[in-house]
Amino acid sequence: MFTYLLRRLVIIIPTLIGVSIAVFLLLHMVPGDPARLMAGLDATQADVEMLRESLGLNRPLPEQYFMWLGNLLQGNMGRSTRTHNLVTYEIGLRLPATAQLTLVSIVIAVIIGLSAGIIAATRRNSAWDYTSMIVALLGICTPSFWLGLMLMWIFAVELRWLPTSGRGDWRHLVLPGITLGVGAAAIIARVTRSSLLEVLNQDYIRTAKAKGLREQVVIYRHALKNALIPVVTVIGLEFGFLLAGAVITETVFAYPGVGRLLVDSIAFRDYPMVQGILLILAAQFVLVNLLVDLLYAWLDPRIHYDNG
Amino acid sequence: MTTETKRISRRKFFRLAGMSAAPAAGAEAAAAPAAAAQPTEIVIAQYADLVSLDPQHTNDNASYGPEKLMFEGLIGFNEKMEMEAMLAERWEASDDATTFTFYLRKGIKFHDGAPFNAEAVKYNFDRVTNPDNKLIRYGLYRIIEKTEVIDEYTVKFTTSEPFGAMLATFAHPAGGIVSPLAAKLGEEALEFGKAPVGTGPYKFVEWVPGDHLTVEKFADYWNPEQAGKVDRFIIKPVPEAGTRISMLQAGDAQFINQVPYPQVELVKGSSDASIVENESVYTYWVAMNTQKEPFTDKRVRQALNYAIDKQAIIDSVLAGYGQVIDSPLAPRVWGYKSTRTYEYDPEKAKALLAEAGVSGFKTTLWASDATDAKQVSVAIQGQLADIGVEVEIMNMEAATLNAERFKPPEENQSMLNFAGWSPSTGDADWGLRPLLSKESIPPVSFNLAFWDNPEFDEQIKTALGTADEAVRLEAYAKAQEIVMEEAPWIFLWRTTVLGGISNKVGDMWIQPDGIGYYRKGYYK
Repeated sequence: MFTYLLRRLVIIIPTLIGVSIAVFLLLHMVPGDPARLMAGLDATQADVEMLRESLGLNRPLPEQYFMWLGNLLQGNMGRSTRTHNLVTYEIGLRLPATAQLTLVSIVIAVIIGLSAGIIAATRRNSAWDYTSMIVALLGICTPSFWLGLMLMWIFAVELRWLPTSGRGDWRHLVLPGITLGVGAAAIIARVTRSSLLEVLNQDYIRTAKAKGLREQVVIYRHALKNALIPVVTVIGLEFGFLLAGAVITETVFAYPGVGRLLVDSIAFRDYPMVQGILLILAAQFVLVNLLVDLLYAWLDPRIHYDNG
Repeated sequence: MTTETKRISRRKFFRLAGMSAAPAAGAEAAAAPAAAAQPTEIVIAQYADLVSLDPQHTNDNASYGPEKLMFEGLIGFNEKMEMEAMLAERWEASDDATTFTFYLRKGIKFHDGAPFNAEAVKYNFDRVTNPDNKLIRYGLYRIIEKTEVIDEYTVKFTTSEPFGAMLATFAHPAGGIVSPLAAKLGEEALEFGKAPVGTGPYKFVEWVPGDHLTVEKFADYWNPEQAGKVDRFIIKPVPEAGTRISMLQAGDAQFINQVPYPQVELVKGSSDASIVENESVYTYWVAMNTQKEPFTDKRVRQALNYAIDKQAIIDSVLAGYGQVIDSPLAPRVWGYKSTRTYEYDPEKAKALLAEAGVSGFKTTLWASDATDAKQVSVAIQGQLADIGVEVEIMNMEAATLNAERFKPPEENQSMLNFAGWSPSTGDADWGLRPLLSKESIPPVSFNLAFWDNPEFDEQIKTALGTADEAVRLEAYAKAQEIVMEEAPWIFLWRTTVLGGISNKVGDMWIQPDGIGYYRKGYYK
């Protein structure tokens, strides 16, 4: 187990280097001149050139990349070309906000998704099943900016129960948490339903029922745990997507998260900032995946990582 | 932090805002003399986050608005963008527009207690004109060759060449004077922006990028008539317009900058908020590449002007919040002269094309991928089709579009280019020279028509060579006549800027150049 973990952790390094090269190349392939964007449309060419030089953008690409990598190894992600603040400072301000929002929404998603999925699977072809699956379909299809604005209008403007936007106490997390979590909840519900249905048709479930075990025990102790592997995979993936995909929700709720910073930074071709954010998001994604793999072993004793 | 004790808790603030939002309670509160229950802070929701708090290192309106709460220049603009004396009492310019002498007000202190005097002014302009400091506004003030302290309250600037638009350049928000004491503290020039210190009616408390900026009333502000009327301002970046409007309606914000045209009715329909309109200095136009066929022919360029029904587009895309322009400058720009318009007349357009020997051609139109730019592109495409001009629209993401626009003439593929401009100095020079003079052809600046007209350039040069306002006005009038006759652009409209304001507060605006003007904000 330990060797496995160590090996997985070591593999993260080449993965992240690969990501950073891909990001670097893609960023520089996209047209757009950070120096001009920073200096403004009314700046003269001489000013733009001066700025380009001070940003180090006139150096050859490989040199720029290796300079960035060298600094990174010393824990320095450079300075934002737009705000001139340290990239680590700007990300550090927002990462806790995004992490908080993501956790809240994944908890919401898991609670709603699992319950709906279990209800639908155990009452197959009933009104419960159809209703929860139609709601799930709606959840997947609803654009989050629309849902966010609607929730805001109802609960913040009309009822005044919750604040419209921004970051503060727990009440600020409710609406964006739901907005962000609904899509994931819907996917989790559908996967839970189909996975649980498959397990419920297995012989050992029939045996358990034949033994005279109570329905509840059969479902929660025998079936659910075995049905969870695909569900955990989906939760892990969704968690990764939520971390990176909170952009729209963060924008709608004026929530100071990493997603919004990423989009603003791309618009201004703020290379160091975009590289920094994507690297951290990639690292999170990889770590969440590792966690999911470890959960498999706990859920299914047949899975071992010792010799594999 | 000493400010902690004075701060109203967020929850209490929301409760207060929520309570007084009920119409009956609001009316009573307004009538009651009990001032203690009045909220003492104004929350402003802005369309974008601040980028900087150092006026000399700022290049975006979202930063300039909040900065203007804390900083003042020697000269400033009021909410109509008319120049007014700020830290200088009066000034003189030499006839050849090379020396400018300012007589400063006495007894002004910066927020950190440092005295405001000629030394402080000199420090500021030495700071921005030193290329080693790498400040973004270096380019704007580079023309200042030296700044001299004549006596404690007199300072003299000498420019490297005649520059008739210098006074307006001092009024530009980048001319905000920062405290030398504070600026010296930051080892690196750019560090100042994190804890800025000026002379304005509000002083810096904290800035959490992406979340909020807080400023509080400066007790020792020099001008009692314009002293801050609320305890604090909180500025929040809220990129989504629907959210800004919700904040205004829920009482979570008292002023929103800006309201997009399609959402105006939402604010107007609300019983506790209204729209604040201001005539802008933004003009919009389509530059035609005058160095490429068929736009080398003036008749073709004029024909395209006649072919566009500007009013129809204003009424549909801008919800009527605009006005057809009769000059490349908007009326509120200093030096503007009402010149001429091209009335919508497709028949005349066809006749001009025939006269030029052009019968129907294909061309491309570049525009940004913003919703309104797309709508305008489609409208122009449709109207030009009526005179036989087939337009292919290329909507590009802003940064990509700019990269394409700033390519040198030989590489530049631009034919028709939909763009807008606001001269941030409020002066004709900055509304004409970067857009239409030969020296401004890309990659140098924004002459997207690649227009090269020696007569026009001559007028610009004449106007810059003097500080005599009458001479400058005459030269700019001639320059505008040449532009309107030669038609390097399809002249479209100037816009109206729109903010939303809670009915509980007053006297906050969006300036004609799009910069928020918040400093006079008060609770009614």
